[in-house]
Amino acid sequence: MQFSGLSDSIATLLGAPEECPHCRATSRVAHGLCLSCLLQNGLSEEEPGDADGFAATLKSVEVADTNWRLGHYEILEEIGRGGMGVIYRARQRHSRRIVALKRVLSYHADSRETLARFRREAEAAASLDHPHILPIYEVGESEDGVPYFSMKLAPGGSLQEVGPALRDDPREVVRLLAKITRAVQYAHSQGILHRDLKPGNILLDGSGEPLVTDFGLAKWLDTASDLTRTLTIFGTPGYIAPEQAQGVAANIKPAADVYSLGAILFDLLAGQPPFLGEHALAVIRQATEKPAPKLRSLVKGADRDLETICARCLEREPATRYRSAGDLADDLERWLEGRPIIARPVSPPVHAWRWVRRNPVLAGSIGVCLLLAATASLRQLQSRRLTAELQQNQLLMHSVGVLPFLDLDTARADDGLTKAMADLFQAKLSALGPARVVAVPAGNWWPGTTSAEDLGDANRQVQTRAMLTGSSRMTRNGRRISLRLMNPASGETLFTKLIETVPGPTGIAESARQTLPAIQKLLDSREWAALSFSARDPGMTNPGAREFIVSGREFMFRDSEENLDRSIRCLEKAIQLEPRSAIAHAYLASTIGGRDHFAPDPRELERAEAEAKEALRLAPELPDAHRALAGVLYQRGNLPGALEEQLRAIEAGGPEEHVASFVAMTVLKLGRPERALGWLEMAQHWAARPGDYDALIGDCWTQLSDDQKAERAYQRSIDLRPDFSEGWVGLCHLRLLQRDFGAARALYQQNRVRSNLRTASENAADEITVQVEFFARNFPEAKRLYETLREKNSGSSSYYGAVTYGSALGRIAQLLGDEPAGRMLLAEARRGELKELRPNDPATLYRRAAIESSLGELTTALDHFQQAVGAGWLDGRSPRLDPRFDALVADDRFQRLLSELESEVAARKERVVTAKPITPENTHDLKEAQVTR
Amino acid sequence: MYPDISSGAATGGRFDTTRWSLILSSLESNSPDGKAGEALAQLCRIYWRPIFAFICGKGYSIPDAQDITQDFFVMVLRNDLFQSADRSRGRFRALLLAALQNFLIDTHDRAHARKRGGDQKFVSWDEWMAEAPSQLAISADSLGAWTPEKIFDVRWAATVAENALRRLQEECESHGRRRVFDIVSGLLSADRGDVHFETLARQLGIDIVAARRLLRRMRQRYRELLRAEVAATVREPGDVDDELRYLVSILAVESEQTGVGSA
Repeated sequence: MQFSGLSDSIATLLGAPEECPHCRATSRVAHGLCLSCLLQNGLSEEEPGDADGFAATLKSVEVADTNWRLGHYEILEEIGRGGMGVIYRARQRHSRRIVALKRVLSYHADSRETLARFRREAEAAASLDHPHILPIYEVGESEDGVPYFSMKLAPGGSLQEVGPALRDDPREVVRLLAKITRAVQYAHSQGILHRDLKPGNILLDGSGEPLVTDFGLAKWLDTASDLTRTLTIFGTPGYIAPEQAQGVAANIKPAADVYSLGAILFDLLAGQPPFLGEHALAVIRQATEKPAPKLRSLVKGADRDLETICARCLEREPATRYRSAGDLADDLERWLEGRPIIARPVSPPVHAWRWVRRNPVLAGSIGVCLLLAATASLRQLQSRRLTAELQQNQLLMHSVGVLPFLDLDTARADDGLTKAMADLFQAKLSALGPARVVAVPAGNWWPGTTSAEDLGDANRQVQTRAMLTGSSRMTRNGRRISLRLMNPASGETLFTKLIETVPGPTGIAESARQTLPAIQKLLDSREWAALSFSARDPGMTNPGAREFIVSGREFMFRDSEENLDRSIRCLEKAIQLEPRSAIAHAYLASTIGGRDHFAPDPRELERAEAEAKEALRLAPELPDAHRALAGVLYQRGNLPGALEEQLRAIEAGGPEEHVASFVAMTVLKLGRPERALGWLEMAQHWAARPGDYDALIGDCWTQLSDDQKAERAYQRSIDLRPDFSEGWVGLCHLRLLQRDFGAARALYQQNRVRSNLRTASENAADEITVQVEFFARNFPEAKRLYETLREKNSGSSSYYGAVTYGSALGRIAQLLGDEPAGRMLLAEARRGELKELRPNDPATLYRRAAIESSLGELTTALDHFQQAVGAGWLDGRSPRLDPRFDALVADDRFQRLLSELESEVAARKERVVTAKPITPENTHDLKEAQVTR
Repeated sequence: MYPDISSGAATGGRFDTTRWSLILSSLESNSPDGKAGEALAQLCRIYWRPIFAFICGKGYSIPDAQDITQDFFVMVLRNDLFQSADRSRGRFRALLLAALQNFLIDTHDRAHARKRGGDQKFVSWDEWMAEAPSQLAISADSLGAWTPEKIFDVRWAATVAENALRRLQEECESHGRRRVFDIVSGLLSADRGDVHFETLARQLGIDIVAARRLLRRMRQRYRELLRAEVAATVREPGDVDDELRYLVSILAVESEQTGVGSA
């Protein structure tokens, strides 16, 4: 390994160089030149060789590169060059066609890997076929093994040259950029990122139409001289996304290109890129550290919407930019057509699950409702155009890739179903004509995915026109299968169907039979019209209502009471104008649900539920409507109902991070940690940051009494998200359950002070602190802490919803010798529990049992504890420590219950390890679904 | 003084004659300006490989060595270089090596901190490697005996020679004579007596006299470019010969046992 860094390829090391006949040194460089002799030459006494003299000598040698041949091209002249590459005007010999020919300067092409990489990337770029992408005609190799490629010669110059002339014509700028962005979107759908979009890489054809060049190739062929002067050589400062400037090439996502497109738009409108600096590093540092300037700070009177579009592209955080180039193109086209744009100033998204996790009372937080409503709808709102030209070939037209189906009972792939579907559709479609149906080999995509990126990835493997996926789960009546047909070029869902059928092969055949006609019809048609729900929603086609919906949605994201009220008013107006708009009803339901967090009102929740159901009546398959209803039901404490709606949302629109984490939280609350784990794995798969879900995973393992795995997960959370308290709080809780009070104390003492947390998390930290003291029977200290807490958040409950402040204080009073005061507090706590409207909530039942036990009502206490266990309560360790259960612990029946609980937990744990599909008898939690419509 | 050998747009004007003296004088006036900073960045960009090779030679794994190289340049570009090393030394090479040695002393802590996710990257390694591939070939036998300091120096010598070669090629290309370069450059280190001028003349389709002249001119030009390359790293033009002699000396066979350190 010590040779590393001396040479780039092993080959040059292995071929032991011969001694130089003149100086006997053995170090050689290119062309086998002796390094020592080369340097000696520098000391020679000969006359110096100035540039002009040398040029004259060169010119006197009639061996010009003109008529020089490269493959079957004649090089005519050099028309550009950069750090690594050179561009020639060349003529193809047989066709006499004049082309532009690019190749890597051969001294950059000395290692085989470099050449292979260049060739691979050039071939990928050559596969792009789009009216606004400069076509690559051919990728070839010269006699000396240096690859080159030929492409259309664009005569109209580049945007860099015509840019200044466009400054006063924003419409023309946006028109050009919309086309450029569509081209980039298309390339992304083929899995190719550009990585160096800038005005110089956008050429213009004879009629002024834009042609994007050098997809993925910029680094080989960079022609910007300012670039070659500095350390930074991976893109063009001023247009490169900050994460691209800092990161490893492999992690660059399409969002980086979106950033560059925004920077180009900014440059064309303002006459300069967003950041300027003395040198490249300074520019990149600025882009990393500072928000981009507002367009209007440079161009007074620039259009406000264009400013918003620029700002959205130039967000430093990739996740807050436009989701895709397609979304940006949509907005640019909206602007051109005079319609309202979708971009909005970004407010930091609420880390919804965190809040929900620690706030059982405020469960189904505003963040969850709104985030859920937003994710699917953003996609649905766009009426994407089909850009790829349709294939003439019958076989290609009737080609379908089958992506893994999602088993909703295990959150894993249903391989049997996937294979069966591929076989069935192959058989049925080929009976009608040429057809190709292939199961997509395993890849990095999650089963059931509808993500455009995954589809693009998968499509590059199988090269089919359509993609099929779906889900399956067992229900009371049999099996429920969903099928989705998607266009991988646009990421759009073309067709969704739900089939209630019987388990087994008969059911699968039945579902294929039911969907065949529709799928066949879609595959027959050359044009795939936009079929998204939003395109069909009457509210989105009614211009008046549409404006109110868009504007109402804008306000939904700015989570303050005031903005939610504004959102409600907008959506109400939208519904007045178009009562049949399911989207408007669904958004209204989510917004009212969110509003309820600020001012809880059961009647408002009823109204939200009615709105969500109305949305479902109007559009039974609208994912947003299912999400909205799921949120409201969760908030109303109807967990099984919420779960059912979450699953239906997935059946209608496919899984994604937020819905997966919402399902996980719901099943965890239903006492099914072994099921939650699969969903968390799924959420993690899509999560923008690693570590987001590890604390929740730790909670699952804690409930399953697998302390080792729990500890590992909490530790991951602590390591990856040291900015949040979930990890150490979870670990502290685990130590408490292990009766290691000293370690638990040490953890909170270490972390309490350090954490600079949001209110909800801070409460969790406070609550675990006091719970440790309470369970450690340090009553005076526990009393002091509970009183402080009660002062701080009146009415709130406690860690995991298991210990209310009032009941703890009551029990502490008893133990400190003040029985009457204790009983009074406990009675009050009991009244509080009775007001809760959640008969099947395990936490409510457990809390009630604790209070009854403290009050000496042993039978009632036992009964409630048993009910809690029946509803899904799994924690058998806390009651053994909780001073409120002192009276029960002595009871044999209680001990029996606890040991039964232990074996149940052990059985559950087994189920996780083997990852068996959960069978119909395990789905009892669904039977209680209380959804009627 | 050497003429400005940059060939205009082709090399992007990246080749000032005495970058190092520019940097030093800027430092001595105690008002480092942007131009000097940029000149330093350019030098670093050219001479990263000796540094990387030295760190590898110190026994670090490749990923660690990559990280440390990155960190080192971040430090250099923040101008910390000049606080940690003796400015009076006239040569960029010597100063850089001294600074690097100092830097490595507390690298253990730094590598540890990095694992905890603290550091920023200013360059993408793959791109860096692709930017200036090297074709240096060394006999594996002699390599085992070399000290990291010697590795640094050999690598430095190769960088100087290869860079000058690149410039020569660029000049030929800019005059539409890439083929001439390809054919003639292989003879740059050959002894004149060994060159078969008839073959060369035939390959080029010129007469033998012209071939001789061409090779001589190309050698002269290469020498000029090589000296300019070295000049960019020393304080005075008069130091060029010394620096070149030093580089030649470390490549000489006799010195292989001595494990030459920095000048």
